[in-house]
Amino acid sequence: MISFILRRLLQSALVMAVVYTGTFWLLMATPGDPFIGNKQPPPAVLRALRARYGLNNPWKAYFAYAWRVLRYGDFGPTISYENWTVRDVIRQTLPVSMALGSLALLIALWAGVAAGMAGALLKGRWPDVALTIGTLLGISLPTFVVGSALLILFSVDVAVFPPGGWGTLRQLVLPALTLSLPFLAYIARLSRSSALDVMSADFVRTARAKGVSRLKVVRGHILPNASLAVLTYLGPAAAGVLTGSFVVEKIFAIPGLGEVFVNACLDKDIPLVLGAVLVYTFILVIMNLLVDIGCAWADPRIRIG
Amino acid sequence: MKRTLLAPTLLLLLLGAACYRLTIGSAPGRGAIVFCEAGQIHTLDPAKMTWMQDIRAALALWEGLVRYNPRTLAPLPGIARSWRISSNRLTYTFHIRRRARWSNGAAVTANDFLFAWKRMLHPATGAGYVMMLFHIAGAKAYFDSLARHPGERLSFATVGARALGRRTLVVHLAHPCTYFLDLLAFPPFFPLNARSMQPFAYRRGGYQPRWTRPPHLVTDGPYELIGWKFHQYLLLRPNPYFWDRRTVRCRRLRIANYPDAESAFLAYQSGAVDVLSFVPSDFAHALLREQRLGLRHDVHYRLVFGSYYYLFNCRHKPLNNPQVRIALALAINKREIVRDVTRLPERPLNVLVPPGSIPGYRSPRGLRMNIAAARKLLAAAGYPDGHGLRRLKFLTDNAAAINGRIAQAVQEMWRKELGVRIRINEEETKVFHQDMVHGNYDIASAGWYGDYMDPTTWLDLFRTGNPNNLSGFSSRRYDLLLRRAGRSVHSAERFALLRRAEKLLVEKYLPAIPLFQAGDGLMYHPARLGGLSMNVRMITLLQYIHWRRDRQGIPPAGRTRIPGSTAAKERQRQAGTQP
Repeated sequence: MISFILRRLLQSALVMAVVYTGTFWLLMATPGDPFIGNKQPPPAVLRALRARYGLNNPWKAYFAYAWRVLRYGDFGPTISYENWTVRDVIRQTLPVSMALGSLALLIALWAGVAAGMAGALLKGRWPDVALTIGTLLGISLPTFVVGSALLILFSVDVAVFPPGGWGTLRQLVLPALTLSLPFLAYIARLSRSSALDVMSADFVRTARAKGVSRLKVVRGHILPNASLAVLTYLGPAAAGVLTGSFVVEKIFAIPGLGEVFVNACLDKDIPLVLGAVLVYTFILVIMNLLVDIGCAWADPRIRIG
Repeated sequence: MKRTLLAPTLLLLLLGAACYRLTIGSAPGRGAIVFCEAGQIHTLDPAKMTWMQDIRAALALWEGLVRYNPRTLAPLPGIARSWRISSNRLTYTFHIRRRARWSNGAAVTANDFLFAWKRMLHPATGAGYVMMLFHIAGAKAYFDSLARHPGERLSFATVGARALGRRTLVVHLAHPCTYFLDLLAFPPFFPLNARSMQPFAYRRGGYQPRWTRPPHLVTDGPYELIGWKFHQYLLLRPNPYFWDRRTVRCRRLRIANYPDAESAFLAYQSGAVDVLSFVPSDFAHALLREQRLGLRHDVHYRLVFGSYYYLFNCRHKPLNNPQVRIALALAINKREIVRDVTRLPERPLNVLVPPGSIPGYRSPRGLRMNIAAARKLLAAAGYPDGHGLRRLKFLTDNAAAINGRIAQAVQEMWRKELGVRIRINEEETKVFHQDMVHGNYDIASAGWYGDYMDPTTWLDLFRTGNPNNLSGFSSRRYDLLLRRAGRSVHSAERFALLRRAEKLLVEKYLPAIPLFQAGDGLMYHPARLGGLSMNVRMITLLQYIHWRRDRQGIPPAGRTRIPGSTAAKERQRQAGTQP
């Protein structure tokens, strides 16, 4: 088991290095200059700024940034918000994205499992059909459509929730709902199909034949077995909620890492883009690693292979 | 079941709650005024500010030797209680107030200004507005010398600024500068408290940028900084040591930062913020109409010291020929653009410096639309009806949708009237600026907001050798006029020279087509808030902002109509108008 984890960790480090290299050279290849704005300072000032961020020579910068992040765990000051280092920015914005993501995932988990169970129990009746259509919509509608629609409905036309921002719980409701929708739909489908599998299993039929009440069978047998499938999905879903939140953050003016990341790309803020990409990669890698370890722990065949 | 779903639920709940607690910061507090900016604070280092929202925040935190009159922007005594100007207009002697204090209680001294200016003049500081300091004698040579030999230890004594004792500051200028006092109220000239920055000094020079974050930042203005949440807000409270403390009537000021105009406006409508530092351009047309109908009273809109123009790349054929440039300019119907495209009360312009904004300066006439003359000029240049003219590359910035719409209108005018065809390239802001600086365009959209109340804030844009001269335009005659104006001490004579220079630009050479004077404004309920005034440069001074005493019974800013929403349409129908 330990050698398995070590092997996976080594692979993860390699993935991070590849992602860093790819991002860095892509940034170098894309047009745009982070230091040129509407007002042009004298060339000496531009040279000094480039030197401060070590960007006069791309090869030097490539190794210098790698060294900085390994040695200090930081890429240094960002270009567009120079009073904050990349680490400061991530420390301030990642928890925002994580708070939003946790709530979204919580909604997706409970509402998804509940909907999936309802669909399985009422298979073929109208709630099941409605659920199937609903989940299809939830998976296929992009968040910017859902977000904008919710915003117009519930904070412009009927002002129930504030239109965005961060600081009160009420401001969390609409963005968390928007963010949760695709995951909710997927979890609903997943739990419905696995509940249907379990329902046709022999031990369920036996339990019913023994006279165990329908509710008890659902609680004791169907739900736990159906939730297992959902549990394995939670790892990728957590990564997806965190890395996919930038559209929602943009719509609802939430000061999370996603919104910062998008703007950093537009501003060509090289250290900040590198930092954000590495954080996202790290989250993805760790989540996948945890899932793999979980699976390996449960299933010895994976460990050996 | 209990174990399978409960564990992740608890985990998510704990994680979510912990992260949430970590990020929310403090509530604005009772009686706080929330002033909202669309855009983030980029820096609180006065030496490096170029963004308007940073400058407005700096004006709330710092005070220079001189402060602005909130309405006219005329210079008023600030940290300096008085000053004397020598008869040749080259030497300024400032007397600093005995009561001028930093927010940590220390006295503001002449050396605090010298420290800030010296730091600003070092190329390694990376100050965007460093050229403003070049009016001081010896400053440019000092900067250039350090730029050539970065490690050099140069004496600051060569720069014409020195302290006589703690409270007298003498500044020698390189040439007469009639607007020098105006510049002194601007962030690049603000003093810095060297002692509070000391813990952040690098051994090799320069400072860790963290020195501007609370609780480290020490300022000498109306407010002090007590909180800064990244991409959320700045929290300010009155600086207890400010010499003019009695004018600061707001107990807590929160400067909220929203990522864009739309979300900021929604926040304003919902009552989450009290003042918007702008009128959102997408809604401005509808908002102003509602204001005219008496449906709302919170839109404060005016023409500002900014113009929108099209820049020609004067380096290459065919646009190195002034005849072609003038022909293109004569074929644009600017009135139509303002009436049908921007649909805002902006003013069509035939000159670059917005007329009437600088007292004493009379603008030249400029060229009016004249299709027949345009065709004739184009034919004279060798391109009758646009024959033989290649398709021109038109560059614009995709940050605002209006840029593309104006470009399409102009494209159609040129095609219809002159047979000239352009290809519109809408680019990301950073790419756009890069292409502009590298001259990778034929015609480009541009906007400029004046930094000080003088025509040269525009006219310098076309001076040979200015890094901001992106058109590649160069005329010895024009440069000479600007140089002569720069030496002139008398305001009337100087303005006459500058008028001749501008006349050359807008009637003879035309390196740019002026289109219209921009408008901007504020949104707030005048019955609730007082002490806000608008000026032509949108330098909104937050020093005087306060609640009106009798604001009870007045609904909060929010819960009003959003133009275009169902509720607004309903309301307009009731008022007997068609939306």
